[in-house]
Amino acid sequence: MNDVLSKEIKTLVSKVIKIPEDKIDPNANLFTDLGVDSLLGVEIFASLDKKYGLDVPENKLKDVTTLNDIINMVKGMMSDRPR
Amino acid sequence: MIEQDTSAYWRKLLALDQAQPANVLNKHRTWHRYLRPILYKLISLPLRVYCPEKVVGLENLPARPPYIIAANHASSMDYAVVAWAMGKRREELYPITTKLFYDHPFTSFWIKVAANAVRIDTEDEFFPALRAAAQVLKAGKAVYINPEGTRSVDGSILPFRPGVGVLAVETGVPIVPVYIAGTSKALPTGWIFPRPYPVAVSFGKAIAMEPYIEKKRSVQAYDVYKEVTEQLRQRIVALSRSPY
Repeated sequence: MNDVLSKEIKTLVSKVIKIPEDKIDPNANLFTDLGVDSLLGVEIFASLDKKYGLDVPENKLKDVTTLNDIINMVKGMMSDRPR
Repeated sequence: MIEQDTSAYWRKLLALDQAQPANVLNKHRTWHRYLRPILYKLISLPLRVYCPEKVVGLENLPARPPYIIAANHASSMDYAVVAWAMGKRREELYPITTKLFYDHPFTSFWIKVAANAVRIDTEDEFFPALRAAAQVLKAGKAVYINPEGTRSVDGSILPFRPGVGVLAVETGVPIVPVYIAGTSKALPTGWIFPRPYPVAVSFGKAIAMEPYIEKKRSVQAYDVYKEVTEQLRQRIVALSRSPY
């Protein structure tokens, strides 16, 4: 399940930032290594909000810099959600 | 509608769908505003003689707010010359000011006299500034923005930050491009008093947001915000090349 989710998130991020999935190193800094600007960073959050109904707070933008950070954040938020 | 249509999240960040009291802007209209007519009368003389100011295209202002005034930024006198050029309509205008200037003992008084300034409690985050601007527009007033985000030292037009595109598209409010010429020479960074140099303010035709809102139905919102921002910059660059 978690691997499927990770793959889904990678696909979503790839679409938003318009970089092929195989070119995204999960540990690369999206902002300094892949040229994502802050607005596009918000667009990633907005797409996560749309797809998973996650109300990602804006201050997370400072903490989340890699694809792995995003995946961990989404997993954390989903596991914290009331069932 | 495309999968990436992310307006709902942006609207949430800008608090656009939250109710706000009708008098929400009153706190920005401090007692200092009673001194405002005197201030603009006082600066009227130097702006006519010492730094003669030419105003072009004032008819391009929308008949009534809300609208966004987006101007290039080269000097700390920029807001004052635009507000002076707008005459009594300057009362519609609410500039967004960081706490650095709003709270500074030297500038605080003059900022409040010059404008209904909206203070934001941050230096480097753009959400509070966008939210404050959205609040002004929702209240039916006009907001003054410098999309470069900082002063240009040599008067050249710097790249624009795309927040102005987000603000305009999500609020649906037109942007009036404004080019201010000569202020970088009249009052360069670090100077306290201006020196004689002619300044000019050109108001361009307002950029309507309806086509961009429509476009956002089929194109990623980010691309539309960037396009609006780039269009605005091109309009201001074009104004900078127009004779006045």
